[in-house]
Amino acid sequence: MKDVSLFIPCTVDLFLPHVGEATAFLLRRAGVKPIYHQAQTCCGQPAMNSGYTQQAKKAAKHFIDLFGDDEAVVSPSGSCTCMVKYHYPEILSDEPEWFGRATELAPRVYELSQYLVDVLKVEDLGATFNGKVAYHESCHILRGLGISEQPQKLISAVKGAQLVPMNQADFCCGFGGEFSVHYPDISESMVQDKIKNFIESNADILLLCEPGCLLNISGYLSRNLPGKKVMHLASFLASNGREER
Amino acid sequence: MQIKTEEFAELAKREVAKSRAYPSLKNAPNMLYTKRMVGMKTLPDVAAYQAYGAAIRAEALNRLPELLEEFEKNAVANGAKVVWSRNAKEADEYIVNLAKERGAKFVIKGKSMVTEEIGLNDTLNDQGIVPWETDLGEFIAQQMQRPPFHIVAPAINLTCEEICEVFMKQVDMKERTLDPVALGLAARLFLREKFHRASFGVAGVNVAVAETGTTINLENEGNIRFTKSSPRTLVLVMSIEKVVPTMKDAMHIVRLLSRNCTGQRLPAYVSMDSGPKRTGEIDGPDEMIIVIVDNGRSKLYQDTRAREALRCIRCAACLNTCPVYRQIGGYSYGWVYSGPMGQVLMPLLLGLDRTQHLYRATTLCGACKSVCPAGIDHPKLFLYYRSMDVSGAPYFKGKKRPSGEGRFFKAWSMALTHAWLWNLGVRLARNVINKFAADGVISKLPGGTFAGWFEKRDLPAIAKKTFRERWKETKGGN
Repeated sequence: MKDVSLFIPCTVDLFLPHVGEATAFLLRRAGVKPIYHQAQTCCGQPAMNSGYTQQAKKAAKHFIDLFGDDEAVVSPSGSCTCMVKYHYPEILSDEPEWFGRATELAPRVYELSQYLVDVLKVEDLGATFNGKVAYHESCHILRGLGISEQPQKLISAVKGAQLVPMNQADFCCGFGGEFSVHYPDISESMVQDKIKNFIESNADILLLCEPGCLLNISGYLSRNLPGKKVMHLASFLASNGREER
Repeated sequence: MQIKTEEFAELAKREVAKSRAYPSLKNAPNMLYTKRMVGMKTLPDVAAYQAYGAAIRAEALNRLPELLEEFEKNAVANGAKVVWSRNAKEADEYIVNLAKERGAKFVIKGKSMVTEEIGLNDTLNDQGIVPWETDLGEFIAQQMQRPPFHIVAPAINLTCEEICEVFMKQVDMKERTLDPVALGLAARLFLREKFHRASFGVAGVNVAVAETGTTINLENEGNIRFTKSSPRTLVLVMSIEKVVPTMKDAMHIVRLLSRNCTGQRLPAYVSMDSGPKRTGEIDGPDEMIIVIVDNGRSKLYQDTRAREALRCIRCAACLNTCPVYRQIGGYSYGWVYSGPMGQVLMPLLLGLDRTQHLYRATTLCGACKSVCPAGIDHPKLFLYYRSMDVSGAPYFKGKKRPSGEGRFFKAWSMALTHAWLWNLGVRLARNVINKFAADGVISKLPGGTFAGWFEKRDLPAIAKKTFRERWKETKGGN
């Protein structure tokens, strides 16, 4: 059995551990063996996005030391995958040795749905769900990694599930890390638009592949529309749409 | 125009409330966005056309000094005069003095963002010369003393009621009407007389062609062509980055600009000027002066990364697609330009210290980059500005961040390379913040860095057992 290294974002580790477990579960079901480096922490994205490049570099070096020899690194997050795949070589560009290691690692880092569909060629993970679902195209999944078909193929293979179209599915939900903290009014207005489109799609569940969007959208729903449900695709597939903690 | 970039957060908050009260405000960018999508479909290979545009703009910038000299040489050979202005003041003074020398009592203007940038209308007004904007949207905005809401459609946010109100007072409109065509006619009748009597015209430039010394304008109302052909003296104002090497390059930019901007294959009017009226010609100005404005651009040009911001061709596709612009509109950005193109340009023109909001009020969603025909990577520039802001880079007046934030990231980066320290931090944070949780949900934390989050949303409590702890306990579920 092939070993696949789990890259669990800190948001998942702390707030959404079930998403991490679902990731491991799906990989096993797809016939590979997930391994987990206990010393992994954070990929450094918050530091880079806030402008703290030196601190982000420290995170990058730690990550590369830890994951550098893995054959495949898989994460249930698009933005964290982007960080390692595209931003590590950028922020380390002035340190030739590290730049080389970052560049070498980059093609071996995958987002979960991408790894399942493109590499393992698996679409049907045996999940069933009786109802309608919509799919939110998270910014770093869609525009960062160019992933759009893969999650929708995984959803379409779920027995009984109907993937319904949603207006402005490719619009940002208003998370943006520090943005949601510094500009709560704009951010709220954006997530309201997202939820309006979700409700109008008549879907029972909104699915996505990005922990940041999940925290943002579920955080808003929890306060304002607790009946509405948003899930990470991994936990949806692993729990047949039931999930929860 | 007063610079209010530091007030972004308050302005945006006000505008969000406004668009909540008048949801139709959100329709305008969406309409332009949809038109663009339709227009782009007329291209056989969108990605290739956009990439070609990006390559032209990249080459134009890399060769900028040389191309400007070539443009000047050819424009002068065509009979135009070329004037270089280091800053807004120089440009304004030159134009105002010329207008005085020519005895102009008023000036007719074609819509031009760079004249907004240099505050030309204010300077003209101060000197007793009345500037008349002749683009309908710009005319309305001018009458209402509003800044442009959108760089292409400056009054697109205003209602017919508001326009009727101001036209009754200021534009000699005889009867109240909410019919947009009738409002348009009132403006035309009012401006027609200005056009006929005008001796002095000012317009901008969309593209300048180095190899021919030609300037090109794109528009849909014919007012720019009128402005350029009616008066004896014509002043064309352009910023230094408008030049491209060849006419073929310019035609490709025209193709992209019209489609990305309004979804048109071509706008109603494309006019090209290679010098003033020549002997034997019956039309055109007696003299043509091209004012080339720097206003901080050659300084930012020295930074080869920041230079990318100058690629912009002002199509405004990034505004129409931007999820933030769609919520807050153009008034929030606090100066001339708005949306992502303004957010990458204004910090370099004004300094990073007074524009922090502009490069931080973005989710880095990349929608702007995905539509840009000039190949600007806006998110990458925002990250670059943020890093210069944190390091206090003096060249662009980087401003150090609050010390608490710096201390946080230092401690954080120390912890993340030592798993034991990281885990200790997680346990401590869990003990502290989970005290505020009810049923596994935190709705409020007293004060602190993350207060903004809890203003609008909840957060799950930190898991009783993190993924790492669960994995350890179950030995990875094996």
